[in-house]
Amino acid sequence: MSEPLILLAMVAIFAFLAMALKLPIGVSLVFSALAGAILGGEGLALRHLVEGSFGYFDTILIIVCAMIFMKILQASGLLDTITSLLLKTFYRRKFSLLLSVMVIIMFPGMITGSSTCAVLSTGALVAPVLMKLGLPKAKTAAFIAMGGILGMLAPPVNILVMIMGGGVDMPYVGLTIPLLIIVVPLAIIISLWLGYKDIQILDQKHMQTILPLSYAKDYGFRHFLPLIVVFVLMAIQSLPFNIIPDIGIPAIFLLGSLVGLFCGRSFNFFKVTQAAIQEAMPILCILAGVGMFIQIMTLTGGRGWTIVSFLSLPPVFLYLGIAVSMPLFGAVSAYGSASILGVPFILALISKNAIFTSAALSAIAGLGDLMPPTALAGIFAAQVVEENNYFKVLRFCIVPALFLLAMGLGVLLLTPLLDKIL
Amino acid sequence: MLKIKRHLIFGSVFLLGAMALGYFSGKSFMSMHIDDHIFPSSGLTENKMLSEYFPKLKKTPGDTPVFIFQGEQPGRNILILGGAHPNEPAGTIAAILLVENIHVQAGKVIIIPWANHSGFTHNDPQEGSPQRFSIRTQDGQRWFKYGSRLTNPIHQWPDPTVYINPSGQKLAGTECRNLNRSYPGRRNGNLTEKIAFGIMEVLISENIDLALDLHEAAPEYPVINAIVFHESSAEIASIAFMELQLSNLEFRLEASPPNLRGLSHREWGDFAKVKAVLLETANVSHGRLKGKPSASLITEGRDKNYVKADKLGRLFVPFKEEGIPLKLRVARHLASIEALISALQEEDPTKIFAIHGLPSMERVKIEGIGQFLAPPK
Repeated sequence: MSEPLILLAMVAIFAFLAMALKLPIGVSLVFSALAGAILGGEGLALRHLVEGSFGYFDTILIIVCAMIFMKILQASGLLDTITSLLLKTFYRRKFSLLLSVMVIIMFPGMITGSSTCAVLSTGALVAPVLMKLGLPKAKTAAFIAMGGILGMLAPPVNILVMIMGGGVDMPYVGLTIPLLIIVVPLAIIISLWLGYKDIQILDQKHMQTILPLSYAKDYGFRHFLPLIVVFVLMAIQSLPFNIIPDIGIPAIFLLGSLVGLFCGRSFNFFKVTQAAIQEAMPILCILAGVGMFIQIMTLTGGRGWTIVSFLSLPPVFLYLGIAVSMPLFGAVSAYGSASILGVPFILALISKNAIFTSAALSAIAGLGDLMPPTALAGIFAAQVVEENNYFKVLRFCIVPALFLLAMGLGVLLLTPLLDKIL
Repeated sequence: MLKIKRHLIFGSVFLLGAMALGYFSGKSFMSMHIDDHIFPSSGLTENKMLSEYFPKLKKTPGDTPVFIFQGEQPGRNILILGGAHPNEPAGTIAAILLVENIHVQAGKVIIIPWANHSGFTHNDPQEGSPQRFSIRTQDGQRWFKYGSRLTNPIHQWPDPTVYINPSGQKLAGTECRNLNRSYPGRRNGNLTEKIAFGIMEVLISENIDLALDLHEAAPEYPVINAIVFHESSAEIASIAFMELQLSNLEFRLEASPPNLRGLSHREWGDFAKVKAVLLETANVSHGRLKGKPSASLITEGRDKNYVKADKLGRLFVPFKEEGIPLKLRVARHLASIEALISALQEEDPTKIFAIHGLPSMERVKIEGIGQFLAPPK
């Protein structure tokens, strides 16, 4: 059986299991991967299935720990306190509210290079504020998801560029301005696009009625310690010298969660962690399934065939290929898209300035975090606002995503000009 | 009640399935922790471990054999490193071929075939790589492990978000497990940095004059079929380059970029003051465009995706239907090593270096690698 036929069969089996038999997405991915291995003459390929799923081991740990952290912020009352503080500060100023909230959401993404971290930490903090000020639930989630993605792209830490740079021996130097050129205008446009119409200006009386209970007076400075611990440890990681050993993002979130036990309302730690893991389980299952699917896709030659097919596009369609394939492959993960497609595309555009090219490609690859079935930014933003159907969230992300895509392609096309000017 | 019973049955079946999956795949993963055999030539004078140069590596998965061929007369000292990236087999096999064949009369040759020993104990997730490939010798097949570019996360974990290497270069977090981004290493760093530090100790304590790092690159990567040299080795690299051109071998001569830190060709030269050269051949098996990964893709190097990519002008080396087999890649490494040694001698003829048994490029190309490998025992 040829490579494209095996790939087609894997996709068809996945679609049948997920749509016709309504099996969970993760389980459907596992069985379609297994079928692909058998059709490709690899037998059960057990080693490959396990190996593939381990490609997301670190991501899975980050998600579990970030979810626990978010639930603990909720349970300790810190979420209410922060909402109360933000409402009191911004209830009268629509423009500055939207921009400040966008920056707050982006911050963890900027220092970790992960949209999930942003969505599940500061995204969870600002979501209640936006909703209380009138932004519909799904739009709030879209705001958070887009903020997370922009944070992931913004300097100082853009892992996507680092991955692509590693593939072409390009040092991570000189990227601040190109990345800011992409991110700053989009942060302004997207926050206004999503929020300006719906956010309400309130009078003080009205604001008081929607203000949640703040625990700041009861617990004082101690109340904010979980957030401080997490942000300080994350910031230290991005410093250009080692002050303390790097314990990794999952451990940082866990440490923040443990601190949260003693800094607010009392709660049952085990019940909270259990709830967090229960909520995260479907996406964890999807990630493991996607890992298996990709491993078998590579093992049976489907991945190479796909990449070469995109590279075979005539030069005029190369940009179209980039615009379609990188976000689509991001369904696997934005990082995977940067590594698997980003590197060949940088090399295909090698005559252009690699710094601008990689910054632009990272913006396009970043859209992968909105692409089902993984859609990490979309799914977690939906969970943050307690929206069960994340497709409602993705609907509001379409226009901002097109802005991001246009910006990425624009920078790619204008690279020679930008190179001259800057 | 019925629902609970169903859940119990489903849960038990699921658990048993997971246990079986864990057992069988675990057995397969554990098999990667058994070392391949190397059968050194009678010219071997000393077999050390890297930990003898840097004791902090002792009893760690980063410790690795160091083969020393000391000539009877003093002379030039040369280090040859293979397996810094265990998914670039031509470097490892060329190094093993040398260990199993050479005799040194004057000077000293030190060979480390599995520089990142830990990287040979696993494969990269989602790459679908085979665990091993084989080479037919005069008396049976010899099997070699095909590893990962990076140190095994079982041995070094977690990765930081951003890796700032010992030379201050900012890299993606996973690169903290890339030996060829970790030079000059750190005495108290992570395992990969300790391996890098140990190799620096070899360079310094053994008074190495010329150090060669054997690699491979995917055909879509610009630094390929290349001699990458530190500025201190510019002269010998140029002489070797010309000699190779005269033998009809196309190479690129690339100067080590001063702002690309952590790589052997930069830090060996800067910190150990040796003539540092990195050699690259073209290997499809770790390229992004590869078709179905297999042991034969590694040894035969034939891939229709790369033929297509070549026609599209997407590659930096010509790639035809016959592919680029392992024997040709190993032969290119051997030819480059020979040319560089010859250039080193030409540079200062008063310092002697005499070696024999080095398999010639032509013979490896014609007779195959297996002719120069000891049979499996």
